[in-house]
Amino acid sequence: MTPSASPEQKRRARALDVALVLWPSFLAACAASLLFFAVVDPALLRDAGPRLFAGLEREAGYALGFIFFWGVGALASALSVYLIRTERSAAGRTGPGAP
Amino acid sequence: MSLAPLRPLPASEPSAGSSFYAAAEKIYPREISGRFTRLRQVAVVALLGLFYGVAWLDWGGHQAVLFDLPARKFHLFGLTLWPQDFLYLALLLIIAALSLFFFTALAGRLWCGYACPQTVWTELFVWIEQWTEGTRSRRMKLDRGPWTAEKLLRKALKQTLWVALALWTGFTFVGYFTPIRALGAGVASLSLGPWSTFWIALYGLATYGNAGFLREQVCKYMCPYARFQSAMFDKDTLIISYDEARGEPRGPRRRGTAARALGLGDCIDCTLCVQVCPTGIDIRKGLQYECIACGACIDACDGVMDKMGDPRGLIRYTTEHALHGRATHLLRPRMVVYAALLLLAGGALAYSLVTRTPLILDVIRDRNALYREVSGDQIENAYALKVINLDDRPHTYRLVVSGMQGLELTAPSEPITVPPGSVSNIPARLDAPAARAGGVHRIALTLAAVDAPGISVRENTRFIGPSP
Repeated sequence: MTPSASPEQKRRARALDVALVLWPSFLAACAASLLFFAVVDPALLRDAGPRLFAGLEREAGYALGFIFFWGVGALASALSVYLIRTERSAAGRTGPGAP
Repeated sequence: MSLAPLRPLPASEPSAGSSFYAAAEKIYPREISGRFTRLRQVAVVALLGLFYGVAWLDWGGHQAVLFDLPARKFHLFGLTLWPQDFLYLALLLIIAALSLFFFTALAGRLWCGYACPQTVWTELFVWIEQWTEGTRSRRMKLDRGPWTAEKLLRKALKQTLWVALALWTGFTFVGYFTPIRALGAGVASLSLGPWSTFWIALYGLATYGNAGFLREQVCKYMCPYARFQSAMFDKDTLIISYDEARGEPRGPRRRGTAARALGLGDCIDCTLCVQVCPTGIDIRKGLQYECIACGACIDACDGVMDKMGDPRGLIRYTTEHALHGRATHLLRPRMVVYAALLLLAGGALAYSLVTRTPLILDVIRDRNALYREVSGDQIENAYALKVINLDDRPHTYRLVVSGMQGLELTAPSEPITVPPGSVSNIPARLDAPAARAGGVHRIALTLAAVDAPGISVRENTRFIGPSP
C-alpha cells in the first residue's frame, strides 16, 4: 500500500488482512478436524488426556478441536500476512515478486 | 425486460495496483429471465429442497442421512459407517474432486454457476431482496434515498427474512450432525446445549454473511477454486464468450437497421450483460476469473438480439477453438485421464462397499502373563476380544481357532451375540497340551455369524508356551 492511501483504502486493506488470516485458516481447520476426528475420538481426551479435559463431552471436544485448529491456522496465516506486509519491498507492490 | 431506461455505465476499471484495495462497489444484479436463468432456478430449488428436506427423512427407524458425531457413526440410508470406515469418506472426497476436474475441463465452471452453495444461497437471498426491495433500479433508488418509513419497512422485512432463513439453514446443517428431531425439540423448548447453539449460530452467521453481505466477493477474493480452475481449461473447454468478431465495433442503432450498413457490429452496447452480472464484470472484455459461468449475460443478450431481430448467440457457450473457426474436440487426453481416474476411484468405492464385512474383531493378548499352567498338563493363554457389529441388526457369532494342533477354545463356550452397531468386550481363553505348547505359535481366530452367511473375519495372533 502506498503512503498516500486514503483512510478508506487503509480500512479496506485492514479488512482484507483480517479476511486473509481468518478464511484460509478456517478452510484448513475444516480439513484438519475431519482428518483428526476420523481417527481420534474426542472421548479419548476425556478418558486418557490430562485432567484439564475431565468431564468433556464429545460435542464439546469436536468444537474445541475445531476452534483449536482454527486458532493455530490463524496464527500461521497472521504470521504470513505480517511477513508479507512488513517486507521492505512490499510498498506499492502489485503482485507476487513485484520489485 | 424493457430497453428504455438503459444508459451506458461509466467505465470503472481501477488500475491493477489499486484494485485490490479499492472499495468494492455494491453490485445490484438486474433481474433476468431466459434459458440459463431457468436452469439455475431449477438447480436452486432442487438442491435447496434436498438440503432442507433430506434432514427430515427417516429410514428404517433412524434419520436417513445423519453424520452422528456424538455417537461417532454415519447413517447413509441403509448403510452405517464407523470411524473405521474412513476409507469410504476419503474415496468419496477424491471422487468429488475428480468430478470437479472432469466437469470443469468439459464444460467450464458448471459448479460455480449452478451447484456451488455460494451461488445457490446467494440466489435465494437475492430473490428475497427482489421481493422486498423491488427491481434493480428501485433498489438503487432506495439505497440512495433518505430513510423514509417505507425504506425502513422494506429493509427491516428483508433483514428479518434473511436472518430467519440463515438460522433455519444453520439449524438444518446441525441437524445433519445431531438427530434433527431432538434438535428441533431442543429449540422449541429453549433447552439447546451450548455447543449446538454455537454451531447453529456460526453456520447461520456464515450463511447470512456469505449470501447476504459478501456474495460475489466470496468468488472474487475468497474462493481458491476460482483461482486454479483455469488450470483445467483448454481450448476445447466450454466457456461463456462474447463473439468479438461479430459484435465489434459496438454502437447503438435502431431496431431493424442493418448493423453492417452503419459500419457497426451486432453489439448495440446496451450494457445489459454487465447489469445482470452477479460479479459485475463485462464479458465483452474476454474471459475473466471473476466469471462464475452463470449464463445471465447470455440470457440478457439473447433477449436483446431477439428484440433487434438479429440471431441469438452474440454471447454464448462456446470454446476457444470454435470461436476461431476450428473444430472442438470432446475426447482429449486430459478428458480421458480424468475419466479414467474417476472410474478407478468409483470402482474402488463400489468394490469396497460391496465386499465390506460389517464385523470387526480385535484380538489383544493378555498383558499380565505370557501363559498359565492349568490342571491336566495344559497351557493356557488369555486374550481380550473386541467384537464390533457394524450391521443394522443383531448378530450371533461363533469363534473358531486354527493354526495349532491340540489347541482348544475353553472360553467363550457360548456363541457371542452383539446388538446392532455395538461393541462387545469378550474375554477368551485357549488351552493346548503342554507337550505341544512349547515356544511361540502363529494361530488364527475366526469369528463367523451363525445367522447370516458371508459375515466372517479372521484375525492372526500368537499362542505362547514355555520355552522348549
